[in-house]
Amino acid sequence: MSDNDEKWGIAHVHASFNNTIITITDLTGAETIAKSSGGTVVKQNRDESSPYAAMQMAETVADEVKAAGIDGLHVRVRGPGGNLQQNPGPGAQATIRALARAGIEIGRIEDVTPIPHDGTRAPKGSGF
Amino acid sequence: MKVAVTGTPGTGKTTAAELVETDLEVVHLNDVIREEGLDEGTDEERDSLFADFDAIREWLAEREDDNGFLIDSHLAHHFDADRVVVLRCHPEQLEGRLVERGEAGKKARENAESEALDVILSEAVAEHGTESVYEIDTTDRTPTDVSADIEAVIRGERAPSAGTVDYLDYL
Ligand SMILES: Nc1ncnc2c1ncn2[C@@H]1O[C@H](COP(=O)(O)OP(=O)(O)O)[C@@H](O)[C@H]1O
Ligand SMILES: [Mg+2]
Repeated sequence: MSDNDEKWGIAHVHASFNNTIITITDLTGAETIAKSSGGTVVKQNRDESSPYAAMQMAETVADEVKAAGIDGLHVRVRGPGGNLQQNPGPGAQATIRALARAGIEIGRIEDVTPIPHDGTRAPKGSGF
Repeated sequence: MKVAVTGTPGTGKTTAAELVETDLEVVHLNDVIREEGLDEGTDEERDSLFADFDAIREWLAEREDDNGFLIDSHLAHHFDADRVVVLRCHPEQLEGRLVERGEAGKKARENAESEALDVILSEAVAEHGTESVYEIDTTDRTPTDVSADIEAVIRGERAPSAGTVDYLDYL
């Protein structure tokens, strides 16, 4: 997936109903290279949480990523914003597409959305 | 009428549902799943039964009566409903409630993260649309206050709402 002379990082995408936060770290997760948030949009302009906003955020982050000499990103998505059929959130998909369009190589895409449970849980593949 | 009371485990669904004064039959779905065997195996990692949605749908259809239901479950929004109440609670407080209830730290943490990411609210809106969803914040509020809000939803005295809280700072 990655050549030895390429530098890779991880894009952590938190995509909730109202908001998206993108954090770029090194492969260990210890060093933060860039961070961008859709901002607090509660009772504010819902446009802030649109896929368009997520795309703009990703484009800003992409510049910082390239400036840090990173060629490719693995993506870890947490939250329903990126996975729903009818997407109420800003959309991790939009983020990933924007990063790719900015010339960043996209590696593994992992969905690590937590699962509500209390002795019962939804079957696999329901909802998301 | 069918009312779903959903929300991340720990938001206080069962506590509030017990206090609601209503003619609706209150169904605690977790008990039904366990007692009637409406599951399709166990998620060992989470010590939780995989709910069998088809079997649950059938069970609910068979028991439909004139008064209707109030379904208490974090899965309630996956089923047919006229109104969907989504209880919310700040993840830090939710984690505290679950630990106090005696749940393991890992379980409390994953549920708190689910709450921070609006997992259940998003599912509820995706399945029922914003016009049928009623979000109620339970943070720093008593179960009695919460049950009064649910009663207002049942009476049709509350406007639909979704996305009124943002808990992402918890992560
Ligand atoms: N409004 C509230 N304020 C503080 N604690 C609460 C409230 N509602 C419920 N609790 C407590 O939190 C825990 C979880 O409540 P419970 O009703 O079992 O939630 P759920 O059914 O949504 O999982 C219980 O220990 C309960 O006593
Ligand atoms: Mg309960």
